[in-house]
Amino acid sequence: MAGNFWSILAGVPLTIALTFLAFAVGAIFGFPIWMMRMAKTRPVRLTATGFILAFRSIPPIVWLFLIFFGVGSGDISLSPFISAVIGMGLITAANMAEIYRGAYAGLDIGQTEAATALGIRTYHRFRDVIVPQMLRTALPSAVTFAIGLLKDTSIASLIGVQEVAFQVNALAQRTFTGFDIYVIAALIYVAISLPFAVIARWADLTLRLRVAR
Amino acid sequence: MTDIRVDSVSKRYGKHVVLDDINFRIKSGEVVAIIGPSGSGKSTLLRCINYLEPPNSGIIAVGDLQMDCEARPANTDLDRLRRTVGMVFQSFNLFPHLTVLRNVSLAQERVLKRPRKEADERSMELLRRVGLADKSEQYPSRCSGGQQQRIAIARALALDPKAMLFDEPTSALDPELGLEVLTVMRELAETGMTMIVVTHEMRFAENVSDRVIVMADGRIIEHGESAAIMRSPQTARTQQFLHAVRDR
Amino acid sequence: MIDTLSFWREWLPLLLEGLKVSVEVAFASIPIGIFLGLVFALGIQSKSKPLQALTVFVVELGRGTPVLILLQFAYFGLPSAGLALSSYAAAVAALAASTGAYTSEIIRAGLEAVPYGQKEAAIAIGLSRRDQLRDIILPQGLRIAVPPLLGFSILVFQGTSLGFAIALPELISRAYFVGSNTFHYMPIFVLAGLLFAAICVPATLLVSRLEKRLSRYTAS
Ligand SMILES: Nc1ncnc2c1ncn2[C@@H]1O[C@H](COP(=O)(O)OP(=O)(O)O)[C@@H](O)[C@H]1O
Ligand SMILES: [Mg+2]
Repeated sequence: MAGNFWSILAGVPLTIALTFLAFAVGAIFGFPIWMMRMAKTRPVRLTATGFILAFRSIPPIVWLFLIFFGVGSGDISLSPFISAVIGMGLITAANMAEIYRGAYAGLDIGQTEAATALGIRTYHRFRDVIVPQMLRTALPSAVTFAIGLLKDTSIASLIGVQEVAFQVNALAQRTFTGFDIYVIAALIYVAISLPFAVIARWADLTLRLRVAR
Repeated sequence: MTDIRVDSVSKRYGKHVVLDDINFRIKSGEVVAIIGPSGSGKSTLLRCINYLEPPNSGIIAVGDLQMDCEARPANTDLDRLRRTVGMVFQSFNLFPHLTVLRNVSLAQERVLKRPRKEADERSMELLRRVGLADKSEQYPSRCSGGQQQRIAIARALALDPKAMLFDEPTSALDPELGLEVLTVMRELAETGMTMIVVTHEMRFAENVSDRVIVMADGRIIEHGESAAIMRSPQTARTQQFLHAVRDR
Repeated sequence: MIDTLSFWREWLPLLLEGLKVSVEVAFASIPIGIFLGLVFALGIQSKSKPLQALTVFVVELGRGTPVLILLQFAYFGLPSAGLALSSYAAAVAALAASTGAYTSEIIRAGLEAVPYGQKEAAIAIGLSRRDQLRDIILPQGLRIAVPPLLGFSILVFQGTSLGFAIALPELISRAYFVGSNTFHYMPIFVLAGLLFAAICVPATLLVSRLEKRLSRYTAS
């Protein structure tokens, strides 16, 4: 039993790395997509909306297969891990764009007006007034999404990324048992997401206290 | 000299006419109170003067800057307009993620391109003036409503505007806290600042302002010297409004 | 392009069969899952501490575990505990369990959004605890929960794609079958994606319309 446990734990670094990279990709690319979503030009706006809808409506497994087997079997070859980072990263970008949009919509327009009345131009209005407040309101949803992402990275096992779910199944097949192995896997995922949730709650509380009106 | 001139200004939202041919002039150093029932277009008028809402037609002139409302405003004109005219909102709209000091300094750095140290020094001076120097490192959420509004006044003064617009600055405050804001405003008026104040504080309208403009349904229905209007209003509509406010 | 179209025409019937399985599994798991969610939500609000603790544990475990692991547990893990399920049954069981865990939070939020005055009014007119819940709180709370529950149902439908991992003959399993036999992975997964989008995009738009409509009513 103890041996089993260690072989599953061997997948933890990849699970964390995949989650972290995909989230970073998504948090960054989500930003221009959100801005395109708000653009005045219709084609730009529609492109962003299409991107968001596509990556939120088509399940992750399709994107991973499409990238790994579809793109990866062409001229460029992609490792399972890179394919998973790209796929999960784009999915995250679409979701983060929506989270940014929600955070922006939740902002008091008085903030924009006050900055405008002070003569602060668009770039600085966003950089100094709007974005910092948005990031704070976006934090809880972003963390919730990140925890969901952590669990969704298990799908990468299906294209051969040797993270936790992959190790679990390899072990189940080797030992012809399953029950306790899957329970351990579940506990590992819960254990990884727990610190995220705690830190997020703490950060949210302290930030909220500070900006509360 | 920074006279303000509002010539035939109109504003519509869709078909709804919110400002209908508004005309008035304000001389440099004058304090004008705008009163009138809710929904009469007072806020919209203030917001048109600094182009938070671009009017549909007419002319708005502040000092030698003249905005033709039917033309697309040039960015340089907008910048000048907003530097010349400061605004204070009913709901303060302080930036909650910045300290009190940074709230006052931000526009100096971004708009006037003042170095941070210089901006902070000027901000401290203004905070002292509104009696809140000790709050400079706090976040706005730690201040009372009255303090927040005084900070908002300091923030608007930081660009050294030639005129100030106040949109019901005390309406969100308890009477006691409103008083400390009114005191700051009275002191500001005494320094010769040109001020347009939308207010329901009849005592301020009568005692501090030089003139009163009464609005109803998007029009100016009465306009004149404060004491005269407050004591002997000419139109039935104004009489009715003043009764309603005083009976509160 | 012509090639792709004829390739699609050739394999579309097979994928549609898979889609049918996906839809069936979703339609079985969603109602069971939402019922579980209601039970969990009530369990969490229960006065009995042990029952409350047990529910919280089950819900947190259900929400904390990847759906993929739940599916594999139901299909590969349960037999070693003496319970062998078909891939259909395992998929429905796992998706329903996951749905129950998630929707319990949605339903609880809905119940909590009912103004406290409603409960006080119900007490004041002498309703029993049971009737307060059944006649006053649940009808209002569940109505608030409808849009997010529908939104979550779309995710459950997408989740059926993970049935691939337990040999459930749903859409992705079929697409994978075609891909590995023809080596035309790209077009077949694009087609599979389009089929998902054809259902989920309109559904998402409808739900967000509904959400806006309802929020307009509650705001005024
Ligand atoms: N952004 C807007 N869109 C449509 N109508 C508006 C908007 N802002 C104000 N109005 C309308 O304009 C009228 C005047 O509003 P406002 O200037 O706020 O009045 P006051 O400040 O005198 O209470 C009201 O009827 C209000 O409903
Ligand atoms: Mg107003």
